[in-house]
Amino acid sequence: MAQAIPWENDLTKALARGKAEHKTVLLDFFNPG
Amino acid sequence: MDAVTYPDMQVSNFIIDKLVPLRVPVDSPLAGDFKVTWTPTLVTLDFYGKEHHRTVGFLSPEELVPSLILGMGKTDFDSGDFNDAIVHFNTLLNGYPRSAAAPEAIFLRGVSRYKASHDAGALKDAYQQLQAGYPESEWAKRAHPYSLL
Repeated sequence: MAQAIPWENDLTKALARGKAEHKTVLLDFFNPG
Repeated sequence: MDAVTYPDMQVSNFIIDKLVPLRVPVDSPLAGDFKVTWTPTLVTLDFYGKEHHRTVGFLSPEELVPSLILGMGKTDFDSGDFNDAIVHFNTLLNGYPRSAAAPEAIFLRGVSRYKASHDAGALKDAYQQLQAGYPESEWAKRAHPYSLL
């Protein structure tokens, strides 16, 4: 069973996490429908 | 993406382990900042918020993971971290050699090797690999001048 992806929804928070965890950020623009 | 690609175990594990996933609706102000007009649009950012890679349109699980690895490699490449970029490009090419991202990875691996070593043979090697494996790709055409080295 695949884990659900824990998406962030705030750019500033995601960039801070990226810096702290030494990771790049995947930004997905989606159609909310 | 929600129906097929993101529920795939390899995809979700890769994203959780290797990236910080951020999801924003296309009608948000951020979409205007990034000039996004269609979905899905996936953008790879460094932790300063600078864009290094973008795809528009659906990607299957078999194509998304190598595309994400390419984005990680391009982030290092653009930052001048050529040895780290080579590691990412090698990971892509060893794991997903027939993916759509592979020809660009060969091209950028060759450039990275050249930038790290100043050995022009790295560029010629990239050209030869592209000609042998991906002769119809745009990256084979872009590498054509290296055949003269």
